[in-house]
Amino acid sequence: MSRLEAKNLSKAFGGVQAIDDFSFSVGERQIVGIIGPNGAGKTTAFNLLTGVYPLDQGQVLLDDEQISGLPQYQITQKGLARTFQNIRLFKGLNVIENVMTAADPYSSYNLADVFLYSGRKRRRENEVRDMSRSFLTLVGLAGYEEEKPENLPYGLQRKLELARALASNPRVLLLDEPAAGLNPSEVQDFIRLIRTVHEKFALSVLVIEHRMEVIMTLCANIYVLNFGKLLASGTPSEIQNNSEVTTAYIGEEDEACLL
Amino acid sequence: MEYIFAVLTFTGITVIGVLGSYLVTGLTGLFSFGQAAFFSVGAYTSAMLVKNLDVPFLLAVPAAMAVGLLAGFLVGYPTVRLRRDYISLVTFGFGEAIIALLNNSANLTGGAMGLSGIPQYTNFAIVWGSVAVCLALAVGYKHSKYGRQCLALRADELAAKAMGINVNRIKLVTFLFAAAMTSYAGVLYAFYTTYVEPGAFGWIVSAEWIIIVFVGGINSLTGSVFATLLLTGLPEMLRFASEWRIAVYCVIVLLIINYRPIGIFGEFELTLKWLRQLGKKGVKAS
Repeated sequence: MSRLEAKNLSKAFGGVQAIDDFSFSVGERQIVGIIGPNGAGKTTAFNLLTGVYPLDQGQVLLDDEQISGLPQYQITQKGLARTFQNIRLFKGLNVIENVMTAADPYSSYNLADVFLYSGRKRRRENEVRDMSRSFLTLVGLAGYEEEKPENLPYGLQRKLELARALASNPRVLLLDEPAAGLNPSEVQDFIRLIRTVHEKFALSVLVIEHRMEVIMTLCANIYVLNFGKLLASGTPSEIQNNSEVTTAYIGEEDEACLL
Repeated sequence: MEYIFAVLTFTGITVIGVLGSYLVTGLTGLFSFGQAAFFSVGAYTSAMLVKNLDVPFLLAVPAAMAVGLLAGFLVGYPTVRLRRDYISLVTFGFGEAIIALLNNSANLTGGAMGLSGIPQYTNFAIVWGSVAVCLALAVGYKHSKYGRQCLALRADELAAKAMGINVNRIKLVTFLFAAAMTSYAGVLYAFYTTYVEPGAFGWIVSAEWIIIVFVGGINSLTGSVFATLLLTGLPEMLRFASEWRIAVYCVIVLLIINYRPIGIFGEFELTLKWLRQLGKKGVKAS
């Protein structure tokens, strides 16, 4: 059974068809990759899934429930969490508060509790804080709780984004180029981390990535986008041997070069 | 002595107004150029209820805050959906519209002549007691999921939505909270001065409050309170400087923008924890 299913997604910006009739599905506990050259529409696909832009056509189903058309925050609360290509952490909040914000929508206390400094507020706050701390420990950020996120090294900021996404209690995790800007050892580290959280929370993961080692080691299934259209899909080895994919990425083999 | 108390009482009322501006502008990042309009709504509603309809003061207070909330809802509900720069335009327009309304319904409000002969029911102690309560409410709000979500959406609205935060709702809740608090400040004002006129509530007052918030520190309640004392209390106390008030304002604001864009206190809050740590350090040093 597929956990996340996108049917015939289409989106145009002016005259540019950013996504054209793109369908895919992510199974339960499956890791699926989307690859494609720059400007292929990968991030746009994520933005359509999470409701940043309205769809021109198509629908998105999460466990057979339609989530397209809902406001962004509701889509997240239904269980679709994401990270961003260019890290978007909350400046002005420290590391643990960044994670807490993602858990806050589920924290059940109200304004009266706030104004009366009630015990319920204190207990819920402590629960959220403890939970957030456990996510930080999981991604290897224990001890950084009170730091400002912008002071963290790049690799740790990526991990913090992951911890924050996990705190929103997702069923499907969307990772937008999680390994961008990381050095080779950090990439290996991040691959292990994605494996760990995938196992631990029984998540389905959809990942956009340019680093082939990430895609090829993690993904069970890969979709290749080019100019907004699905170019190919299949297992990593199928994609590696697909001549159309090679053409899209590095251009055609010119006979002149072979001489 | 009486004069100093009067100045301090006005300063206290301004503190509550500035707290409202802090919640909307400092914490949530929405420039509200109409915050003083809620002040006038609170002042006029309560004054007219008591003076014209003989409503008991203690009933007029919640009534004034309820009208403030209603006004806040009317302007807030549509505007929280707008982009930030439009929010300042709409709130600005709302503020000026309220002033025009007060000026033109002369048979009810006294028009530009103002409304006089309001009984003096509030005093120094009531005002500063209210400051303490309002400050406690604001501190509690800031250090709750609401305050955290406000800061998150101020930093990055798209990311906040992607974390499941209902951005419009949080903005509206904060806006209403501030509206109620500012209306209450208006009640205190009317029943302290015993006289209200529309000219006292224009956008300049809203702008002044915002300036105070930014001088104090973009995200510091401590800074808001401190800057209010500095920028409203001091010029009144030092009478000779009061004519230079606007000049002093400009100089301070320019200095702050140039040398400390995050405001005097930045994000610092004066807390018990900090005092304790300071105490420990002091002991170690000696």
